[in-house]
Amino acid sequence: MIFGKKKKDDREVETYLKLTPKVLLLYLAIIVFCVVIILPLVIVFSSSLRHVSNQSSPLLLFREFTLESYITAFNNMNYPAELLNSIITTGGSVLVVVLIAPMAAYPIARIKSKLARFLYVFFISGLVIPSQMVIVPIAQTFSRLGIPNTRFTPMLMFITCSLPFSVFLFAGFMKGVPVEIEEAAYIDGATLSQRFWLVVYPLLKPAIVSTVITQGLWIWNDYFYPMVFITKKAQYSLPVGMLQFLGDKENPAQWNVLFAACVLCALPLIIVFLILQKHFVNGIAAGAVKG
Amino acid sequence: MKKKRDKALVFSNKMYLFLIPALSFFLILWVYPVLQLFYYSVTNFNGIDYNYDFVGLKNYIKIFENGSVINSIGNTLIYTLVVVVLSNVLGLAAAMALNTKIHFKGLFRTTAYFPALFSAIVVGFIWTYVYMPSSGMIASLISLFGGDGSTFNPLGDFNVALFAIALVEVWKSFGTTMIIYLAGLQTVDESLLEAGRIDGCTEWQLMRKVKLPLISSTITINVILNVIAGLKAFDYSFIMTNGGPGKSTKTLMFQIYEIAFTDQKMGRASAFSVVSFLVIIAITVAMLFIMNKREVEL
Repeated sequence: MIFGKKKKDDREVETYLKLTPKVLLLYLAIIVFCVVIILPLVIVFSSSLRHVSNQSSPLLLFREFTLESYITAFNNMNYPAELLNSIITTGGSVLVVVLIAPMAAYPIARIKSKLARFLYVFFISGLVIPSQMVIVPIAQTFSRLGIPNTRFTPMLMFITCSLPFSVFLFAGFMKGVPVEIEEAAYIDGATLSQRFWLVVYPLLKPAIVSTVITQGLWIWNDYFYPMVFITKKAQYSLPVGMLQFLGDKENPAQWNVLFAACVLCALPLIIVFLILQKHFVNGIAAGAVKG
Repeated sequence: MKKKRDKALVFSNKMYLFLIPALSFFLILWVYPVLQLFYYSVTNFNGIDYNYDFVGLKNYIKIFENGSVINSIGNTLIYTLVVVVLSNVLGLAAAMALNTKIHFKGLFRTTAYFPALFSAIVVGFIWTYVYMPSSGMIASLISLFGGDGSTFNPLGDFNVALFAIALVEVWKSFGTTMIIYLAGLQTVDESLLEAGRIDGCTEWQLMRKVKLPLISSTITINVILNVIAGLKAFDYSFIMTNGGPGKSTKTLMFQIYEIAFTDQKMGRASAFSVVSFLVIIAITVAMLFIMNKREVEL
């Protein structure tokens, strides 16, 4: 629906609203609103570019440009290792999710039975359970299964927690894939797994993009599971690494470095977002509207 | 009848095998732990020593007697209400404003969505600075305009702290809500609005009687997503206030975490989890019931 709409917009020549006082007021309201939203981030960015020892009010924007605070934060954070851990855990988890969630959604979307209906609701119900609630028995289950605490341990939980929404999304999307295509493939002698991987799966691309973005976003930013499961500093991902600054947040003398660390932590995602902006917007919207 | 049998041949029960990987993850690491909560909740397990005893309902009696359950349910509900109302009102208003033919639409949308990219821990740090008395952002701005910034301390105020952290959640989440509303509004057929205009509807009437009913499913999904996020409230109590001042920002999830990891009382934390589980299920079921009923009426 959304994708079709976009094409139409491109063809039409945009006619903008005329600048009546009412429209000017609309612009003004939007601009004020955006400034209020973005102001904390602007201050954080400007402070991060100051010398570590600059104690003047952060409200004096962009008076100084140095990377000193960044270098200090970079070294304190063990940045390259944390970045690598973040990339591995997020990438690995998302990869597994976009393989097994559509698989699970396949029978749920295609078979019309009470069991399939039940499984659908069963998966979605996982959405309402918060991580903190089940962390005690999960930690026990891990130790009983003999799963060691490595940098990969949180991935198991990232995958599990991504399943409810992903299955919901893929099942909703798969209902839009015409049954006739599969019937044709069946008549041509395709096996079940050929049909799924070669016929259905390629048609799920928009849902895959949507899953990668919505689930990748929370997994990249999650600090809770790594905080519980990882004990060695070398295995930290970016958000968990930020926990070491917990004591600095109320100490104005540390702000410049803290803010530089905040920017460094968010930077990879900001870059990805700026490159793939359209996919982000469409992916998030499709995730909610399709299902 | 024949047609139906063909369908069963194409989509045979063998398809259920595709569920195995996802279902294994889900059952072992999500469903089984939830069931275990009920078991641990009647023990005095401390997380390390497996020679624990059964204590019956003692854990439950304890958490109800010391008032922590009622306190954190109340805090969580207030937090959820603030997030749901503000996020949806602001998100819908912003989406409506951006759904008109104005310049720089993309830039505005990006700006509003931008906070959603940041990790909760970074957001928590940034907003601790924003809320700091004297030298924080809002306090400095108050001082700049001649007020007294040193008395501004929302995170230290028993009555305000919960709303202050809920506002942080709104700041981070409303951009996502807005994008979903924008997508919903774009599905509204322009010819319907045109017809309404010809019939002499005001813009306000068009919005109330045409647009809102047409995007009711979008409203439903946004409210549900925000309620789920609100009930999971943990991050900002953990990062910004540590539950304080007093018990004023202890949400259900924060309280569970504190009992389990600070007090090392896994049994009691499990009892608390069971109570939270029931609260969350009750609210979700009630919400789905209300939402379904409302959508049928429309």
